Amino acid sequence: MLQVLISGLSLSAYYALLALGFAMIYSTLRIFNIAHAAVFGAAAYSFYILYRIFGFNIWGSLVVGVAIAAIFGLLVDIFIYRVLAARGGGTFSIFIASLGVASLFEAMALLFTHGTPLVAHTGSLLPITIGAVSFRPLDILVISSVAILYGVLFYAIMHTRTGLEIRALADNHTMAGVVGIDTNRTRTAIFAIASSLAGLAGILTVYDSGIVPTTGLNLLFVTIVAVIFGGTRYLFMGALGGSIVMGLVTAFAGFFFPQWVTVIVFLLLILLLIWRPQGFFA
Amino acid sequence: MDYFFFILSVICVWTILSLATNLVIGYGGLMTLGHVGFLAIGAYTAATLNILWHVNFYYTIPIAIIVTAVVAFASILPLLRLDAFYFGLSTLGLNIVITDVLQNVGPRVPGAEGLFGLDLPALMTSSIWRLAIIAALTALTVYLSWQLVRSPFGRSLRAMRDQPDAIESVGKSAKRYRVTIWTISGGLAGLAGALYCTTLSYIDPTVFSFLFSFNLLVYIGFGGLASILGSILGPTLLIVFGEALRFGGLPSQVSGPVQQSLFALLLIFVMVFRRQGLVGKYDFRE
Repeated sequence: MLQVLISGLSLSAYYALLALGFAMIYSTLRIFNIAHAAVFGAAAYSFYILYRIFGFNIWGSLVVGVAIAAIFGLLVDIFIYRVLAARGGGTFSIFIASLGVASLFEAMALLFTHGTPLVAHTGSLLPITIGAVSFRPLDILVISSVAILYGVLFYAIMHTRTGLEIRALADNHTMAGVVGIDTNRTRTAIFAIASSLAGLAGILTVYDSGIVPTTGLNLLFVTIVAVIFGGTRYLFMGALGGSIVMGLVTAFAGFFFPQWVTVIVFLLLILLLIWRPQGFFA
Repeated sequence: MDYFFFILSVICVWTILSLATNLVIGYGGLMTLGHVGFLAIGAYTAATLNILWHVNFYYTIPIAIIVTAVVAFASILPLLRLDAFYFGLSTLGLNIVITDVLQNVGPRVPGAEGLFGLDLPALMTSSIWRLAIIAALTALTVYLSWQLVRSPFGRSLRAMRDQPDAIESVGKSAKRYRVTIWTISGGLAGLAGALYCTTLSYIDPTVFSFLFSFNLLVYIGFGGLASILGSILGPTLLIVFGEALRFGGLPSQVSGPVQQSLFALLLIFVMVFRRQGLVGKYDFRE
């Protein structure tokens, strides 16, 4: 049972990386960014190509992969969302366009990989056993780096100029523009940060358990439930709390009723939306 | 020739389903990303009754319509309180829940993942007559939908979509319009489902994946929202295009993803440059 708890927590770490970026974009720009799954995949596949096929250094590949994610996320925003908004489209058309981006990416990934799972790590990741529980150093590394990232970003959002602007956008987008914040520049920062986080999640996933073309969307759906669960009123606490809950829910559901995981997640979503649409921690 | 009839039947089924979807998205302003789930319920109802319980296929069609309409009615009641994104997301969830439940505990022919071996009435065993019946039912659906949207009910429905408060202020219930159109749409999806299982002759849960709900969105987005003609043009042109791609000599392993990417590109293009689609009278405004 403790074992399931540990694997649940390490799942939470992946959700937490995706959730923070998704919630940041949603709470500041009202964009329901399904293309986050494509950003996740773009980083994962670039990392795989650099590290496994070209044999680059692991840290170098990681940095390049995260950079590619940030650029990809920004390009989607600049060439699709901003153009769409400038042509009078609302949040709903952006939502559908982002669904299109995710689907396009998934189809391309399927075309080039034929759906073969790709795993980037070589050799086995040996577990460490303490008593009845065994865990892998990688899980500890992932969980602690997520904790550190959350800490650093929390400090940055609370104490830097850009952070202040991001919080202003979350409060009132129009008003933030009126008082002289360059909303386009802030928007660029938001997409860059959020997409880097998604990229990191993608790279960790492809390194550890491997990915198939649908991995990004599957993870993102659970992540969205986590974001709804946490609410976007308190960005960090909501994303983290929701992710921990969903990590534990999916791990325990996967342990006891492996066939019913998606059903449980979505029933939970519907119950949650009806019972507490503003989020659990708001 | 049989293949040609098969494609025409597929087009008819997706036309009915596109109409059903357009009634709720285009005319009712309710976002749905899960209508293929209702298609699954219609198809499974008809196939189960016919294959496992030996009910005459003609009777299974109205039963499939009623069962799906009831499921649609029951499923919208808890979702009505949600606003646009959350509503859309929940319908997508509904689609996934329906296919997962069918996957785990759905009826199946022993030894297979799904259902096959329909016992069709004599007339429907010949492929041309089967197509004729499906086409006639499609034409009837088109006619009835057209009558529905130009009736006073259709006008109030569009008014409710644009100004729900205004409709409430003249003493009509916006909620009642939403539930009614959703239930009608569910019934149409049930009809499409019953016809789909005769067309495919084998169904399993993968046929009703939420990815096809995405295709449905592309069909009506391309054809045009709040337009009966658009709901016919969208699926017809895009299914013909998809088949042409297959005849273009691409192996199915390649043509599937290529088709999906082109559909996705088309959807992005439509959203950016022409939100009303080919002949639509409404767009995704919010």
